[in-house]
Parts: sequence; C-alpha cells; structure tokens
Amino acid sequence: MALGADRITFWFGCNMLRHAEMIRLSIMLLERAGYDVSAAGGAAYCCGTAHDHQPRAASNMAARTVARFNEAAEKDGRSTVVTWCPSCHMHMSDIMAPGNSAVFEVTHITELLADCADRLAPLLKVPVNRRVLLHRHVGFATHVPVNDRVVGLLSRIPGLELVEGPVHPGHMCSALAAVPGALATAAHDTWTAAVAKHSDTVCTIFHSCHRELSALDGKDNVRIRNWVQLIAEAMGIDASDAYLDWRKGGAPDIAAIERADQSRYHALVEPELRKPPPLIAAAQGMVE
Amino acid sequence: MTDAAHLYNMGKLHAARAETTEAFLAETGPELAALCTACGACFDACPMVDHLGLRASDPKSTTDGLRRLARGEPGHADTISWVSACTKSGLCVAACPESSSGLDAMLLVRIAKQRALNDTGQLPVKQDPTYFPRLKVYARLQLSDEELAKWL
Repeated sequence: MALGADRITFWFGCNMLRHAEMIRLSIMLLERAGYDVSAAGGAAYCCGTAHDHQPRAASNMAARTVARFNEAAEKDGRSTVVTWCPSCHMHMSDIMAPGNSAVFEVTHITELLADCADRLAPLLKVPVNRRVLLHRHVGFATHVPVNDRVVGLLSRIPGLELVEGPVHPGHMCSALAAVPGALATAAHDTWTAAVAKHSDTVCTIFHSCHRELSALDGKDNVRIRNWVQLIAEAMGIDASDAYLDWRKGGAPDIAAIERADQSRYHALVEPELRKPPPLIAAAQGMVE
Repeated sequence: MTDAAHLYNMGKLHAARAETTEAFLAETGPELAALCTACGACFDACPMVDHLGLRASDPKSTTDGLRRLARGEPGHADTISWVSACTKSGLCVAACPESSSGLDAMLLVRIAKQRALNDTGQLPVKQDPTYFPRLKVYARLQLSDEELAKWL
C-alpha cells in the first residue's frame, strides 16, 4: 500500500468509547510510528452496520461518514483512514464504499503498525515478562490477517512469551453474544486454554472481546490486557484501564458521573458494569 | 498462529457501483443470488451451524433459501435461523466454489438477513434505543472537553 503521506484519520468506531485509554494508546502508537493522527468516532462517524433493520437510515449514516472522510482527504490531506473496529472496516470495504464514492484508502491499525514495526521496535525497551495467550477470532481474516499482525507486533516485545490458544468463530465477541451459548463457549475455551497452558495474561485484540473478558481479570491469576496496552508497557508507559476496573466492582469518580449525567449513568451504564461475566452467567444459567 | 486464508486487498476500496449503500444492496442481492448454485458449501463451512443445532439440515435446501431471500422472496425456516446467527466468521467466503466468479458469500448472507428483517418479515427487528445514549455517557465519563470536541 502506498500511503503517500503521513497524515491519517484514525477511525476508532463507536464502542471504543468505553475504552478511552485504548483510543489514546492507539493514537500514541500511530504517532510514535511517525503519523500525524486525527481521531474520529462515535455516532457522527457511524458506519451503519448496526442498523440493518433501517436500510435508509443506515445508508444515510454511511453517506455522511464517507463524505466526512472524503473531506478530510481532500481538504486536510488525510487520504488514509485507519480503522480499529473490524465491523467498521468490513462495512466500509464491502458496503459503504461500493455505495458511495470514496477518495481515501482504508487500512487496519495492525496492518499499519506491522508495516512500520521496525520503527517501533527500538522503543520497546522495557521487558514485559508475561506468558500471553492471544484471544483470537477467525472472522476478520477475510479482510485483514489481524491475528498474524498482532502476533508479529507482540513478538517484538522483550520478555513476552506467546502461547497457542483456540480460535473462536465470528469476528469478535460481540457477534457471538447474539447466539445463545456461543459467547460463553468462547470465553470458557479461552480461559481453559489459558489456565492449562499456564498463561498469566489473556491478550485481547478487539474492544468487544476486552469488554466481555475484562470482568474475569485476576481469576486464576490470569490478567486481561489488550495488545496496545502490552506494547505501551514495553515502552514504559502506564496503561491504565478504567473500564476493566469498573467491571471488577469499581466505579467512575462522582465528578465524572455528574459530568456524564448521573441518572443516565445509573440507567444506561451501571447495569452493564454489574453484569456477570460470560463464564459466570453461563454457570448460573443466565442468558448472555 | 497463522490466519488461514485472507482474501483482503489492503488499502484499496471498491469503486462505487451505486449512488447509495441502500441502492447497492438492493442491486447486489439478486446479482449474488444469480451466481449462487445452492451447493451448500458455505453452510457446511459455517461454525455457527453447530451452535444452532442445524448440522442435520439439508445444506442445499438451506442455501436455496439464501438465494430466495436475496431476491426478496421468503426463505426456509432453517435458512432464517442460519442467517440470523451470522457472526461474520467469513469461512463461507473461501469455501464458496463461485468466489472466483465474484460471489461474496458473506455479503450474500448479510443481504439475505436484511431481506428477512425488512422485506419478508421473517426476522423480528431488535432495536436498542439506548445504544448511542449509552456510548455518549461513556464518552462523557472519560473524554476531556477537547477530545469530545475533536473526536466526536
């Protein structure tokens, strides 16, 4: 891929808004790799993939998002859109672009960083002494060999040992949640393999897997980390994880809750944070 | 740890084939259906079939339902169950013997599911009106004013 320029748009999607630190770490990694990054996400940049039941609305969302990226390419020289979310990436490639005239290219963050891994490698100086099982899905490989790319990046980290684990159906855990039992099976299989192989860390690739597994952090002395967090650790950068802390019983500070609207926090966010993790839910016979 | 087969074309996007995504999907459904021979290979390759208890179903009949749905006609019950549980594993893409002719099996399943939702009414619409409001709360919990202004 000829990037042509170092100015990019980092399209982090919608659900990454649960994981602000991972957005910031992604931007930091892209900047350390030499890119000038403009981040975009949330409802204003919706791909429309979650609105199959509203084809006209989904079409309008897709058109608006493509128009914004076209404008960034034409007026700001950002001719490459770098994705995080596999749903956004596949939707752009398979449906948004064929239905709209796009003047930009699309690549996934793992592709871009893998391409310039030699630039990042000298920055990975702090040993990360972890035995890591990578939580993988089979799906996104139709578009990006993401599992291979993440393995390639993690293998640059001193001290980090990767162990083989299962590959799950779907492109990420959120897809499995709609099929009874499928998410619990994936979580169980990941966890069983991690324990059997004496891993101390399960590494997630995507936000939705991180979301589903984060409440298990610490169980059987296995920690949950995302790949950007592990790379940051190797750079000596603190990689805090507010969502994971909240899923384990913590809560945002009261000032943040008031800023977000206390009643909406209690109605919309708290139930998700207190939801049992998939392993526990399945054991209790609860619907995922 | 190797991704089995990827058919991606890194960077380059398809040229626009329609004015809107809605029009693209409307035109593409019958086109993909015409390429499909209902051989059942995509169904056989799908890992969700076991989760759904559909392994005993007839792959040819089920994928014939896929073609019907993509044309806007009602699909078989097993086809409806199957397309409703698509998790985008993508194994159907490589399994499809017509892929070299331009048949994107995962897109065909996606379109069939949309038809079952919107045209034949065989799938119930599940809306989550709290989806974006919830994300807005998460954003305001964590992002600075500058990040809110610049990113969203």
